[in-house]
Amino acid sequence: MASDETRPAVETRRLVKKYGAFTAVDHLDLKIARGETYGLLGPNGSGKTTIVKMLCGLIKPTGGEAFVLGSNAGARSVAPRTGYMPQETALYLDLTVHDNMSLFGEIYGMSKTDIEREEASLLKFIDLERWRNSTVTNLSGGMRHRVSLACSLLHGPELLFLDEPTVGVDPELRASFWSYFDALRERGVTVVLTTHYMDEAHHCSRIGLLRDGQLIAEGSPREITESVGVESLEAAFLALARRGGGREL
Amino acid sequence: MSFSFRRSFAITKRVFRGMRHDRRTVGLIVVAPLLSMFIFGIAFSGNVTNVDTVIVNLDEGYLAGRIISNLDEDTLDIRFADSEAKAVAEVENGDAWAAIVFPEGFTTNVLAKLEDGSFVGDTTIGVRADKSNVNIAAEVLRTVRDAMTQTISETGRESPVSIGDRPVYGEGVEFIDFFVPGIMAFAVFQLTTLLTLLSFVGERTSGTLERLRASPVRESEIVAGYAMAFGVIGMLQASLLLIVATLVFKITIVGNPFLAYIIVALLAVVSVSLGILLSSAAKREAQAVQFIPFIVLPTFLLAGIFWPVEAIPSILRPLSYLIPPSYAVEAMRSVILRGWGLGDIWIEIVALLGFALVFLVASVKSLQRATG
Repeated sequence: MASDETRPAVETRRLVKKYGAFTAVDHLDLKIARGETYGLLGPNGSGKTTIVKMLCGLIKPTGGEAFVLGSNAGARSVAPRTGYMPQETALYLDLTVHDNMSLFGEIYGMSKTDIEREEASLLKFIDLERWRNSTVTNLSGGMRHRVSLACSLLHGPELLFLDEPTVGVDPELRASFWSYFDALRERGVTVVLTTHYMDEAHHCSRIGLLRDGQLIAEGSPREITESVGVESLEAAFLALARRGGGREL
Repeated sequence: MSFSFRRSFAITKRVFRGMRHDRRTVGLIVVAPLLSMFIFGIAFSGNVTNVDTVIVNLDEGYLAGRIISNLDEDTLDIRFADSEAKAVAEVENGDAWAAIVFPEGFTTNVLAKLEDGSFVGDTTIGVRADKSNVNIAAEVLRTVRDAMTQTISETGRESPVSIGDRPVYGEGVEFIDFFVPGIMAFAVFQLTTLLTLLSFVGERTSGTLERLRASPVRESEIVAGYAMAFGVIGMLQASLLLIVATLVFKITIVGNPFLAYIIVALLAVVSVSLGILLSSAAKREAQAVQFIPFIVLPTFLLAGIFWPVEAIPSILRPLSYLIPPSYAVEAMRSVILRGWGLGDIWIEIVALLGFALVFLVASVKSLQRATG
């Protein structure tokens, strides 16, 4: 499939991932438009991380198709236009904050000037300017999370995959993360994130509710709660899970 | 997207930047090879000395006395007993390693036998040694034999046969000269494999490898970046070892040290790719540590560091040829001690290149992305 700017940012067709007899992702059909903030929502083990890893080309699907920015998921040509923040901190603990950011900037082909400019701006945003020359090992868990996010944003990706970006993050930082994701959406960046916090999904323009690797509902948070006739997404998820699914609302 | 040296170099820089804050690893890289050289160099190059020996001289003539005076006093600590039974008793109770007995009529009998080969009389110097330590027993016998040869020659009766020792290579070479090229290869192979193994298990468990694999960096660029870093580190280790070995142990360097650096760098590339390969079989650092004996022991025993591959039993020898450091040790010895050039060590270089190629391809495969 040729790259095409008019195609969705992410598209999957009957995407399947099996580990032996266990089906982690079960015939998933997704379409995420450019500029959307899309949340993959579901409990632990529902297949969220597996989907993101397949979209990033880190694991191979068992069946079906996946396209990212108009190209096959995992195509190397797409990598410079996407950003990925794994669930783990995924930073070099023996390097300083600056060295980590420089490394990822250089890998994405940024010039030294661009790296320094973006680094200064991002460190200001994550409020870690004075920790620039500290080794990551000396930072708290929350600080590491912020640096990890900054590393995935440094090269200005069009499409950002964030795997559980707010896990283990205090409420204040979670709020600032979401305000930044909102700012990214305003700049036209597509954000695909996974979370199991139902209460923060209202920040997303659309969400996909996952259970046992299947998409049991998709739409804006309001569309989902209204269609089920409940107040919260958590109640909607429980109601849909009891019904045993319902592919599209 | 083709191979990018810039991206690869970014990985190389990452290794060095990490070491800036990791003094323990830097210490390991610098101190471990030096320590190995000092410990093994001193321990193995030492001669056997001060062996408690009891001599029983029953000879009435001059010959036994002359042989005794020609015995190496550094090797043997000599005291005397008046009977063989007393001397052997000292060996039996562990107070001496050997008893040397010169029989009655020794001088007379030897001289008679020199005049008439068919003369029958006791001309045997009895050596009753504690052979529970074969090295010491062998040294006692060698010392007695040397003293005997020297004494006979002093009497003006030279052997009609002599050995003309004119070495083709290795004039004045001692054990430490033989050993330093081996320890260079050993240190580089062992440390590079272990550090890469542990680094990559860390990369896998911390999620950094995933982040890298989701980025534009190619697997070959990651491997090349690490190989460049450890190639340079290997050459620095080799330089350090050569400098200290020259200054402290006064080792002989006949050949071109730069050729030795090339061999070391090539071995480092092999080691990096082996470390990456092994890391794919370890899920945690604790599992990686279990590989250490499999890296250290075969190299230590079979790569020809302490004794030549030719001294290894033929049933195990094929294993030596499957161990990359064997080729590096042989090539480095040839360069440093024989002064050989690239044209003389091409077989070892080709073997190392072959290992490097196979391991590099396999390590790149082990990191490969799912698609694209």
